[in-house]
Amino acid sequence: MQEQHIVTAFDRDLEAIQSNIMKMGGLVEAAMTGSATALDDRDVDLAEQVRADDKKIDALEILINEDCARLIALRAPMASDLRTVLSVMKIAGALERVGDYANNLAKRSVLLLGSTRIDGAEGSLLRMIKEVESMLGDVLNAYVAGDSNLAETVRLRDHTVDQMYNGLFREILTHMMEDPRNISTCMHLHFIAKNVERMGDHVTNIAEQVIYAVNGDLPEDPRPKGNIAVADGQ
Amino acid sequence: MTDLPIKISARNVDVFYGAIHAIKSVNVEIADKMVTSFIGPSGCGKSTFLRCINRMNDTIDVCRVTGDILIDAEDIYDRRVDPVQLRAKVGMVFQKPNPFPKSIYDNVAYGPKIHGMARNKTDLDEIVEKSLRRAALWDEAKDRLQEPGTGLSGGQQQRLCIARAVATEPEVLLMDEPCSALDPIATAQIEQLIDELRSSYSVVIVTHSMAQASRVSDRTAFFHLGELVEYGDTSHIFTNPSDKRTESYITGRIG
Repeated sequence: MQEQHIVTAFDRDLEAIQSNIMKMGGLVEAAMTGSATALDDRDVDLAEQVRADDKKIDALEILINEDCARLIALRAPMASDLRTVLSVMKIAGALERVGDYANNLAKRSVLLLGSTRIDGAEGSLLRMIKEVESMLGDVLNAYVAGDSNLAETVRLRDHTVDQMYNGLFREILTHMMEDPRNISTCMHLHFIAKNVERMGDHVTNIAEQVIYAVNGDLPEDPRPKGNIAVADGQ
Repeated sequence: MTDLPIKISARNVDVFYGAIHAIKSVNVEIADKMVTSFIGPSGCGKSTFLRCINRMNDTIDVCRVTGDILIDAEDIYDRRVDPVQLRAKVGMVFQKPNPFPKSIYDNVAYGPKIHGMARNKTDLDEIVEKSLRRAALWDEAKDRLQEPGTGLSGGQQQRLCIARAVATEPEVLLMDEPCSALDPIATAQIEQLIDELRSSYSVVIVTHSMAQASRVSDRTAFFHLGELVEYGDTSHIFTNPSDKRTESYITGRIG
C-alpha cells in the first residue's frame, strides 16, 4: 500500500512492526545458514552461537505480537491494514518455528561430533537446507514487495522440498540397512531432514499469509503434497 | 450476499440541489429485516440519499429527485402517495435528539393520534407502553410519563425519539447519525436497540463512525462524491473491499 494514512503515526506503527518482521526474518535466515555450516564443518562454536541467537528470535516474536495487539486496540485497523496485522502475527509465529528447527539442527550437529560422516546423505541434506533457505529469502522479498506472484512460486516449491525429503528418507534407510553402526548417526540425520521438511511447510505458510495480506483471500487450490514417506499428520 | 426479500429498491436515483448534482445514478436494493449502513466522507450524499427514502427532501425547494425509489415495489414518488402517510411507514431518527416540547407520553402518542391508530385512551396507553418498551426506555420513563421529554438525558431523549418513530408501526426505520451526540454508554444502548429492531424493521443508518457501521450493520454501502461506490456484506467491506476508494476511505488514507 503506497498511499499514506491521514494519521501518519499509524504508518509509523505499521512500519515499525514490519521492520521487526524483516529483522526476525534476517535472524532466522542466519540461523539456518549457521546451523547448516555448523553441521557441515562440525563447528561446535558456531552451533552454540546459533542456539544463543534463537533467544533473540523468540524475543522478537513476543515484541511483534505485543505491537500487533497494541495496534489493533489503539488504531482499529481495517481492510488491508487489518490483513497486514493478522498476517504479521502468523508470519512471526511461523518464523519462530523455523528458528526453533534451526536451533534443533544446531543441537544435533553437536551430537554428531566424532561420528562417521555419511557423505551422500549429508550432501543431500545440505542441498535441501539450501533450497528451504532460498525459499525463505524469496518469501521475505515477496512480503516486502507485496508480491503475491512471487509468494505463489514459493508456495509451489514446497513440493520440491517434499521430494528431496522422500529421496533422503530412502537414502538414510539404505545406509542403516547396509551397516547397523550407522543407525545412530542416521537417526539424527533423519530427524534433521524431517525438521527441514517442516521448515519448508512453515515457509509455505508464510507465503500463504503474504498472498492473503495482498489479495485478501487465501489461495484456494490445495498445494501439491509430495511427502509420501510418512503418513499424514506425523 | 444472501437473498432476502427486498424492502427498498432505488433505481437510477439522481438528486440535484439547484445546479449541484448531489446523488449520481444510485442503484441499490435494501433488504427487509436487516440493518444497512451508509458510510462515506462528509458531503458524499449519504444523508441526502437517506432523506429521499421518506421524501424529506420534498421540503427543500431547490431539491429535485429523479429516478425511482420503491418500497415494497410501490413508487414512493408517485403522485398518489401522501408524504405524511409515507413518513408513518418510514420512520426517521435524527442526529440530535429532537423530542417535542411536550410530555414523554405525548411525544410517543402524537403520531398514533394523528394517524388515528387508537380508538380510545386504553389503546393509546398500550401503544405508548409498547413503543417505550421497544425503545428500551419504559423502565426509566414509566413513572414520569407526564414530565417533559426535554428533561430526559441525551441518550434517553434519543431513545424517546426512537419510541416516537416506532409508535406509528413503521416498516422502515431511517437513522441519520443517531449516536453522534451521545456518550459511549448511550451509544451502546442505541446499538443494542438497533440490533433488537432488526427483527421487525428494515433499518438504514447513516454513520460517520466506521466502527459503528461494522458493529451494527449486516450490509454497508460506501458513498463517495455522490456515487454509490460499493455495496456489500459488512464483513466483506471491512476486511476485503473490492474498490480502491473504499479501501482508502476505511483504512483512513487520502482517497
